[in-house]
Amino acid sequence: MMALLLAAVLALVALLPGWFGGFPPGRLLGLAAGHAGLALAGVVPAALLGLALGVLVTRPSGRALRPAADAFAAAAQAVPPVVAVALAVPAMGFGWGPTILALLLYGIMPVLRATVAALEAVPPEARLAALALGYTPAGALREVELPLAWPLVLGGLRVALVLAVATAAVGALAGAATLGTPIVLGLQNQNQILVLQGAAATASLAFAAEGLLLALAGYAAARGGRSSASPASSAGAAQSRKP
Amino acid sequence: MIRFENVSVRFGTTEALSGVNLQVAAGVLCALVGPSGSGKSTLMKLVNRLVEPSAGRVLVRGADVAGQDPARLRRSIGYVMQSTGLFPHRSVAANIGTVPRLLGWDSSRIAARVAALLELVQLDPALAQRLPGALSGGQAQRVGLARALAADPDILLMDEPFGAVDPITRRDLRAELRRIHAETGKTILLVTHDPEEALELASQVVVLRDGAVVADGAPAALVAEDAPDFARTLLGGGQPGLRRLSLLPAEVARDGRPAPADAPRLASGATLADALSRMAESGHGVLALGDGSLRLEAVLARGR
Repeated sequence: MMALLLAAVLALVALLPGWFGGFPPGRLLGLAAGHAGLALAGVVPAALLGLALGVLVTRPSGRALRPAADAFAAAAQAVPPVVAVALAVPAMGFGWGPTILALLLYGIMPVLRATVAALEAVPPEARLAALALGYTPAGALREVELPLAWPLVLGGLRVALVLAVATAAVGALAGAATLGTPIVLGLQNQNQILVLQGAAATASLAFAAEGLLLALAGYAAARGGRSSASPASSAGAAQSRKP
Repeated sequence: MIRFENVSVRFGTTEALSGVNLQVAAGVLCALVGPSGSGKSTLMKLVNRLVEPSAGRVLVRGADVAGQDPARLRRSIGYVMQSTGLFPHRSVAANIGTVPRLLGWDSSRIAARVAALLELVQLDPALAQRLPGALSGGQAQRVGLARALAADPDILLMDEPFGAVDPITRRDLRAELRRIHAETGKTILLVTHDPEEALELASQVVVLRDGAVVADGAPAALVAEDAPDFARTLLGGGQPGLRRLSLLPAEVARDGRPAPADAPRLASGATLADALSRMAESGHGVLALGDGSLRLEAVLARGR
């Protein structure tokens, strides 16, 4: 809830100057919507790819790919998003494309790293028991490994989401309408108020996204917990969620 | 029921098992004993295909396991492990119901079965909704046993099931296992490094060393004078003669001659070791047993 509170405060900081000759609040909200869409368009495929790669390289059959996947994810994150956008513009033109590509590359590593670490932290005896009792490897992954890995994976998703929302501002350089637009405008016209508004709005959106993700995860956990029969001990449940 | 035919297992360059032949009949509680690295756990895991043989065949219920779907095979065989392997994110009830759920039982049937199993392993039904993290070691081990028994498998594999609990709990759990084995008549393969546990529980004891079976037989036979040295030393605990006497019922040495009037009486169901102890404490070389007698020479003759 801390994240949502910070988001509200920062939103006020971003919107208030609009009524005193700054960037108009109406347009800022429109840009925020576009910004959020762009960030999601980048981070959702990054998360899916990071998860899939993380699962793949922790399977017995995919273990050999582990070094290659690590190197790829590290390289992808080592390229500054600004550079990725600049390099992609000639190939993809102006608009959302270059930014989505940059966010995709940037978001894979945190999710991949978290997924691998989380799956490796699953107690080996729980995995062995799953197989010994007759789960198929896919069933053991779905029913035992991923549920146990989820809290750590969620951590990686948070990092990727916040990174994506913060970084999507770069899209303004490639002509995508984002909260980077007032920042670029302010820098060009030496208007610090516009820069402050864009930065505060971007940060506000990042915190809001994190807060929403956590709320969503909490809701899903509560629903999942109820359907798989453990209403009695919420204290025990909280205990087991500790990594 | 379970048959190993000339089975070898190779992990990389090391040979974990070499040329093992073994048969375990239906309803037998068979203990696999040996020092660590002797291959006892590997031998057990061949039965449900957690380990694959590099040579030879493993037959379960008359069929080669190599031709069977591993998941389906494993659902038909109970499995208990030392560290319990309970799923930490699932309640005790959900853990116990794992295999029935995999087999597609409906939820009311699973709930009834879980309740019956909690009773069988003598656990408080109030624990059903707890998570495994909230259980004591002994309770967790009982849940593990209940989970293995959930779909009523005719074969139970137990990998050092009582190795991680305190001695008193271990004694209770052993008694529990003996009772459940007597009640259900399941074929049980029990891996243990505790010779006493093997002798106490098993009707067939298999001694392994460096990946080979060095002895296979009834507990009393493996501590007898003609048993292989390694088995006799491992199982005898320094007093193979006494161990053997403790495994034989006093009845086997009874003779028909009536005991002298002042001879102390030995309870029926006592072992030869009990008889020897009774003689030592009373100073009498003859005891009354049933309507006959038990003589020191006869007891000693059985100790070899």
